[in-house]
Amino acid sequence: MKRKRLAAVLLTGMLSMGLLAGCGTESTDKGGDEGESSGKKTITMMFQGVTAENDFETTVLPGLIEEQFPDVTVEITKLPDEQYYTALKTKLASGECPDIIKVQPRHAGANAVVSLAEAGYLEPLTDLEFIQEEPDSAKEDMTYDGEVYAASTGLSILGTWYNKDMFEENNLEIPTNWDEFLNCCKVLKDAGIQPIVMGDKDMFVTQFGLYQIAANQLYPENPDYDEQLASGDASFTDEGTWDTILDMYNTLYEEGYVDESSLGLGQQQAQQKFIDGEAAMTFDGSFSHAAVCADGSAEFERGFFPLPANDEGEDTYACIAGASGIAVYSGSENKDICKEILQSWFGGESDIYSGWADNDKPIISWGPASENIDPLFQLFADMYNEGKSYYFCNQGWPSGTENEMEAKFSELIGGQGTTVKDITESMQLKYEDLSGN
Amino acid sequence: MKRGKKKKSLVFPGRMYWFMIPALAFFITFWIIPVFQLFYYSMTNFNGINYNYDFVGMKNYLTLFKEGTLINATKNTLIYTVIMVAASNILGLALAMALNVKIRGKAFFRTVSFIPALFSAIVVGFIWSYVYMPNGGMISSILELFGVQEGTFNVLGNYKTALYAIALVEVWKGFGTTMLIYLAGLQTVDESLIEAGRIDGCSEWQLIRKIKLPLISATITINVILSIISGLKAFDYSFIMTNGGPGKSTNTLMFTIYKIAFNDQMMGKASALSVVAFIVIILITVCMLIFMNKREVEL
Repeated sequence: MKRKRLAAVLLTGMLSMGLLAGCGTESTDKGGDEGESSGKKTITMMFQGVTAENDFETTVLPGLIEEQFPDVTVEITKLPDEQYYTALKTKLASGECPDIIKVQPRHAGANAVVSLAEAGYLEPLTDLEFIQEEPDSAKEDMTYDGEVYAASTGLSILGTWYNKDMFEENNLEIPTNWDEFLNCCKVLKDAGIQPIVMGDKDMFVTQFGLYQIAANQLYPENPDYDEQLASGDASFTDEGTWDTILDMYNTLYEEGYVDESSLGLGQQQAQQKFIDGEAAMTFDGSFSHAAVCADGSAEFERGFFPLPANDEGEDTYACIAGASGIAVYSGSENKDICKEILQSWFGGESDIYSGWADNDKPIISWGPASENIDPLFQLFADMYNEGKSYYFCNQGWPSGTENEMEAKFSELIGGQGTTVKDITESMQLKYEDLSGN
Repeated sequence: MKRGKKKKSLVFPGRMYWFMIPALAFFITFWIIPVFQLFYYSMTNFNGINYNYDFVGMKNYLTLFKEGTLINATKNTLIYTVIMVAASNILGLALAMALNVKIRGKAFFRTVSFIPALFSAIVVGFIWSYVYMPNGGMISSILELFGVQEGTFNVLGNYKTALYAIALVEVWKGFGTTMLIYLAGLQTVDESLIEAGRIDGCSEWQLIRKIKLPLISATITINVILSIISGLKAFDYSFIMTNGGPGKSTNTLMFTIYKIAFNDQMMGKASALSVVAFIVIILITVCMLIFMNKREVEL
């Protein structure tokens, strides 16, 4: 019996020693992993999005950086949106955030540059050479409290994808104002063609039309509207602001120009109907380029124009925002080298820049990469450079305000008895709730 | 009379309590502390990112009530649960009774009935999204054969029908499991009792009402409680099939919590709704459990 006890004690002791030794080994490994022991620094990056075939960020970028920075080893993770938000929050909370991360412009999304910078998680990049060369609008998208916190990766455009063949068959040209656009829809409808298809079951698509109208009806008259909202000097319920925008957009539903079953269709299903030639137009973004230009059951030429929600005799404005940005984590131990990498990536002269321009094909209106822009987006790039565009409205609001707008507008077109006034009041309430006013 | 020295239990000696410590520590760390933390966060304006948050008292609870979120989400969840409990139990029980008699291909029918339960919610959600699709969807195409115009059948796009439509999908996926539990319960019913009932001249309905149902009352309780819990936790199909819409007509408690936490970035407010949902679920489940146990005794 005694011998058994002795054996048990010895065994327990050995196990405990093993466990402690294991802990010791782990910490040694951490300090001396392969990269560190060979004098190389490991730069970690975490990006948001779906990994495509020959994805630039995960397959091309690491090689290009390691080639130009021989002392650096790159580790990249790319996660779909929801997973990215969760991973980012967890990593930020635990102080284990990757050195370089992806952020969204202004207040957009859970990784909005403003909220991350406000919490002190981002390193200012204002002094970097390439930031100075960005257009002001691109810098503003990534600015908080006078400092630029991220490198803009190009532009994101909202517009109207249309079937050029259907337009030609009905002797229609790209409309230049709201009345012409409505007439365009009427001609198509009279010809037995569904003018517009939308996938309103995915409520976020509501933004695609509404923001284009806001870019023409709201911001040209009052570019500081969102700042005034924040300071309490303006409200969503102000007459001639969001009530006009919502009314105009609702007209498309009331007149039957948008597919009546839109609330039963998702975005993908709507895109499918468009490429199958079952509707002449759909409001969507440059980010849906591949889906909208994919082969469907009908063959036709695609076009993309800004929704002319302007009155007759006034200029049309496009809805263009900065695409996602690349930022440096303020707690990173490799901030300087990260800044050098960003300078090289976006500076316009390195192999990293060329690799990015060739592989990722960003929609960009500045730098050498702007010369290779897809002709579909050239008009928009020109409008952006001429200052004839405004950002996506939700980028100026606390994240979540747009959800209320989408849900309430969905109630309106679904015949739930919701009025335009109800929508603007709900938006205002939500805005105040989210901004803590 | 003086009490004698307390006798030591031979079955559960005092030192055995020490063995509870690991489980207790685990329970406190991963259950009790997070629940208290949830209460704490529900009184802050924490956004999930910025740790410089403020204490806002009961503001989150009041806002949830004032803006109608709480009432809308609770109402939708209760409707969903009632449909789910009633339909899956009636269907499950009826099928279990039908498949408990000697018929040809019994095993095949039992397997077929259980197949939907094997799919993940994501797969089921996508399949049914296409079944319900207003243009070219399965039901729409069948209706078209009978002269119904394409696009007319739009249950997910109508705020009056969307909640019922997604609840039916949950029933479709879940009735196989319910049926299986009922089948197991029915097989414990002693055949001699049924035989005795038949000799006494009982009709089929009397056999079910007076013999089978009372004898499987414990199984009914289990199935009803499981359906209630599953209904109150409804999230999947609101998320996959309707995204809470049209409007807010399919916003269930769990889906609303998710939306507030991850879309609106209001962890504090989401925590407040979680606390309310937690209380609602516990209350309903306990009440139903007491009611069902009483019914069991009466039966």
